[in-house]
Amino acid sequence: MKRRSLLLTGAAAGGALLVGWGALPPRSRLGQAGLWSSQTGEVALNGWIKVAGDGTVVLAMNRSEMGQGVHTALAMLVAEELDVPLERVRLQQAGHDAIFGSAESFVGFLPFHGDDREPGQETAFFRGARWVTLKLARELGINITGGSASVADAWEPLRLAAATARARLLGVASLRWKLPVAELEVQDGAVSHASGPRAHYGELAAQAALSPPGDVTLKSRANFRVIGKPAQRVDLAAKCDGRAVFGLDVRLPGLLYASVVHAPMLGGSIGTVDVGAALQRPGVERVVRLPPLGGADAALAVVGRTTWHAREAARALPVQWREPPSGPLDSKRIEAALETAARAAQLRDGGFTFHSRGDSRVALAGAAKRVDALYRAPYLAHATMEPMNCTARVRDGRVEVWAPTQVPGLARDAAAQVAGVAPEAVTLHVTYLGGGFGRRLEVDVVAQAVRVALETAGRPVQLNWSREEDFTHDFYRPAGVALLRAGIGADGRVSAFEAHSAGDALEPRWMQRALPALAGPFDAPDKTTVEGLYDLPYAIEPQRIAHVATHSGVPIGNWRSVGHSHNAFFAESFIDELAHAAGVDALRFRLDLLRQRPRHAAVLNLAAQRAGWGQKLPAGRARGLALHESFGSIVAQVLEVSLAGKQPRVHRVVCALDCGIVVHPQGVQQQVESSVIFGLSAALYGRIDIEGGAVKQKNFPDYPLLTLAQTPIIETHALPSDAAPTGMGEPALPPVAPALANALFALTGHRLRELPLMPLLASLRA
Amino acid sequence: MNLTINDRTVSVDDALADPSMPLLWVLRDVLQMTGTKYGCGVAACGACTVQVDGEPVRSCVTPLSALQGKRVRTIEGLAGPGGPHPLQQAWVEQQVPQCGYCQSGMLMAAAALLEANREPSDGDIDAAITNLCRCGSYPRVRSAIKAAARQLAPRRRPSKP
Repeated sequence: MKRRSLLLTGAAAGGALLVGWGALPPRSRLGQAGLWSSQTGEVALNGWIKVAGDGTVVLAMNRSEMGQGVHTALAMLVAEELDVPLERVRLQQAGHDAIFGSAESFVGFLPFHGDDREPGQETAFFRGARWVTLKLARELGINITGGSASVADAWEPLRLAAATARARLLGVASLRWKLPVAELEVQDGAVSHASGPRAHYGELAAQAALSPPGDVTLKSRANFRVIGKPAQRVDLAAKCDGRAVFGLDVRLPGLLYASVVHAPMLGGSIGTVDVGAALQRPGVERVVRLPPLGGADAALAVVGRTTWHAREAARALPVQWREPPSGPLDSKRIEAALETAARAAQLRDGGFTFHSRGDSRVALAGAAKRVDALYRAPYLAHATMEPMNCTARVRDGRVEVWAPTQVPGLARDAAAQVAGVAPEAVTLHVTYLGGGFGRRLEVDVVAQAVRVALETAGRPVQLNWSREEDFTHDFYRPAGVALLRAGIGADGRVSAFEAHSAGDALEPRWMQRALPALAGPFDAPDKTTVEGLYDLPYAIEPQRIAHVATHSGVPIGNWRSVGHSHNAFFAESFIDELAHAAGVDALRFRLDLLRQRPRHAAVLNLAAQRAGWGQKLPAGRARGLALHESFGSIVAQVLEVSLAGKQPRVHRVVCALDCGIVVHPQGVQQQVESSVIFGLSAALYGRIDIEGGAVKQKNFPDYPLLTLAQTPIIETHALPSDAAPTGMGEPALPPVAPALANALFALTGHRLRELPLMPLLASLRA
Repeated sequence: MNLTINDRTVSVDDALADPSMPLLWVLRDVLQMTGTKYGCGVAACGACTVQVDGEPVRSCVTPLSALQGKRVRTIEGLAGPGGPHPLQQAWVEQQVPQCGYCQSGMLMAAAALLEANREPSDGDIDAAITNLCRCGSYPRVRSAIKAAARQLAPRRRPSKP
């Protein structure tokens, strides 16, 4: 099946579901005031906005704060359109209504090529598929904080909700004072008229709730007073004095603590266990057998009076574990099998073709020069600083859950299923997340916590994983292998490009765990396996990009930037190889291939210019560059690198980007710093090995992260834009590894084609 | 057993805490002081950093028995009676935290550094701040420490001509 027919099948299925409910007018996305649980003195003006008696604006916050600054960015959108200072916007966790669901993330799953979706030049086919997908997604109302989509998703509905609320408040003032709306002024949440009357929102809200909004227009960029301007994150103070409540900080009267131990082997199960020995220990209340839940393996949970008591008992638990029926997993063997699969696909035009144009095989045969390369990427762990946990209480037929989760609705569904109650009987509180990076798109710990809470007679339980459990029972970034080849003509231009890659499809696995209702009987081709490889921005003709989706049995999931995290390394390292083979400067080579992509060229030029590309560096230093688009944002980076012995030192990272309108400039800057550092940790050191069925890396000493002392200077330069915003939580990560490898090539003359880079670098002869 | 935490004497329930229990869990689960975080349990990440007699200490590997007669300071006691610590102010001004989970430990390590060294160089900061941060707050941690150091530095007299 080719990409286009797959899309059409999906669109037809979608179309069938569309019958009966028609098109949703934008205003219905504002929701009803009745969605709110209102407190005394607060008046809801729609599903998103309430006004408190003192004029404070309350925003229904549907997205989870995991460090990416989303609470601040979304509050800024509302502050802008309501003309209130950011400090006057208070956040209250949103409910589970469909208006709070995600839409843009689902569009991101569509395997469209950049040629179809370049803003302003979208094909009719893409526009149609996007429309259907958005409609479907809004009907489903699945709330995901992920896919760098929160600001893009909120851009229209949140500003519209705020502007509509403002129009109603103004309308009331106009009626009350018998003055035309056009003559009224709004500042800091107060409406006034030059002739004297003045009232703050709190004094107008009750009447506004009963009046129609009238005409609503959104501000143009020139009139922004909040968007794109400096703003302080709304969560800073609480995160500097210990007050911020993460999942592990929930404290309730009578709270018990449950520590989980899984079988050391992935997929293993519990044989025999001597529970009596554990119960003899001080502070231990009980031991609960956990069946496989939410994708987690079978496990034991020791319930104790403190985390320490529970954990010490769990550690000492005499258990005989069982191997998985399929035998122990081994990552070396899996990686060898991936290479075999990719080679077979290359030999026989195999795999699922995500993109092809022209006859690459013929063109390759006739090329003046051929470049062939094999690239590899390992499994990776998320290693959020806050290990996995969830707190639950089951009492009187009701379930209450406190979870640091990226998927509150799916978490609620999982809790309901385990407890055997309707989702409406579950109250879910989203805490701050001590990092997410895709790990908290899973519901495994939520299901485990509720399962344990069913056995504690109404007492609340905080279920926690040790760091060792967190490392050894993650849903890992899948390992991948890509065979790339290209031809270079006598004129020095690329005359053909082919990619044959192999690796597990991850989204079908995630769907089975977190969204079983939508998981199909067979795996649809997973775009994330090839994202960033099948949709190169470069004008290369002909080309063919195919992928062999495997099923290795290793638990895999979404890891910050997903498929882009390794495909950018493959693609942008290989482009560098081609530039070198053609004898052309890496910047000029790329620009030459970007003549039809002015946005990409502008970003690349900006990075090169700010980094001083082509200018002399001190001896022993070299630059590497990479360009990559992901989640709708384009990022180019230039890294300045030296080597002290075999230890690389990154001195400076210049990052240029186009993410449409920048809502929160420091937020974007923070996310660039975050992604660069996350990306450097992975590029230099990140790897998870599975030996004898068990994950070898068990704690931070086995899985090094970049330290403060190693952190380079990071500069962020955003291109001015009038386009709707796209995400920045992930897009600055993918270019890091290839830019680093390209710099190391410039330094050493060795092309490092395998992540992480350190082992290969260490093996080079001095 | 009695502990001195943030200049107050706190009694710890012996039924819940034995001498081998790490300070981290005494703080978090017995005293309900959750500002100090668990990250690794092996003194590798620094999320649990507190001060004992002014020295930065990884509370996940510090048993209760080692604290007799010592003064413990946690993130909850970093601010003074006059308001936030200069580091906390700098942390807000420089927008250091992202997810924020490691920041209690970062702040306690930074406060210990500044108490020992009012004008830390980049090298001093590199050596003192070994805490891990997965969000990448490092560049801002560095600049905020420098900003706080500038604020704490005694005003220098203008040099004589």
